[in-house]
Amino acid sequence: MCRFVLSVAVLPLLGLVLARAADKKETEATCGNNGTAVHFLDSPKEAAQQAKLEEKLVFVLHVSGLFEDPNLT
Amino acid sequence: MRVNALANPQVGKYLNEHFVSSFQKVGTFKIVNGQKQGGNVAAYFCAPDGRVLHVVAGPVDAATMLREAKWVVETTKKAIVESKGNGGKFKAIFRTAHAERLRTEHGLMVDAVTYDLSAAQDENSALTYNDPSGRPIAPKLPPPPINGPDVSLKEVQLRAAQAPGAATIHDKAGRPWQLGNQGRVHMLMAAYSMAKIETLYGAVFENILGERVSTKPVETNSPFPWVNRRSGG
Repeated sequence: MCRFVLSVAVLPLLGLVLARAADKKETEATCGNNGTAVHFLDSPKEAAQQAKLEEKLVFVLHVSGLFEDPNLT
Repeated sequence: MRVNALANPQVGKYLNEHFVSSFQKVGTFKIVNGQKQGGNVAAYFCAPDGRVLHVVAGPVDAATMLREAKWVVETTKKAIVESKGNGGKFKAIFRTAHAERLRTEHGLMVDAVTYDLSAAQDENSALTYNDPSGRPIAPKLPPPPINGPDVSLKEVQLRAAQAPGAATIHDKAGRPWQLGNQGRVHMLMAAYSMAKIETLYGAVFENILGERVSTKPVETNSPFPWVNRRSGG
């Protein structure tokens, strides 16, 4: 009975931790190189703010569809 | 663009050194009878306030991307010195630089628009189309008229006809000329450089790349989703 109560209490907590880990992984995937040699921030707004601080220009990529087609990419 | 340009270490080093980068998704492609329809890319080089200095329309190789990025940085440095803090002069210098590239690289003349005549599209007008999110889709800006030379440019035109996105445009006299994506970018930028990105992407995607834009740009988790799939993510 005690083991059952423990598992009932721990499992949701474990689920929460795993969900947070997944969220963290997702965040890392959206702010990084995305398989390129270029470091991408999450949004042009964020890029503009950082560009002002670092006195740099802004590079914004607009993509339509997926880049899986080697003829396109 | 990813394989040929953005994955290149030299391109990455230069872009990371001089630019802060981000990406947005513009519309989507459709699968019709198992075939992908649509899908393209445009790279915008902007000032820190989001005003567009230059565009690379469509996928390009690493050498082209690096050359265009370097041109933006060098032209910006030159324009800062020459404009001496005058925003109007800075804009005029950049538009003139685009007109000059159209002349030297494509043999066509365009008068750079060094002042802006009309106000932006009125978002509240009853005649303004709004997408479901309530914002108007970017207008398809009319390109400035061009002047062709009074002699034929056979070699230049043959080369232009083979350029990515080559299309026929007509000069003021109605004569047809071939011009690729980047030539038409210079034509557009000679009139609209330093305009905000949200007023330009419609003209870039629809007029130059021939892609229908159905929604305003949105942030996306990843422009290269197969990267995570390949790594098991």
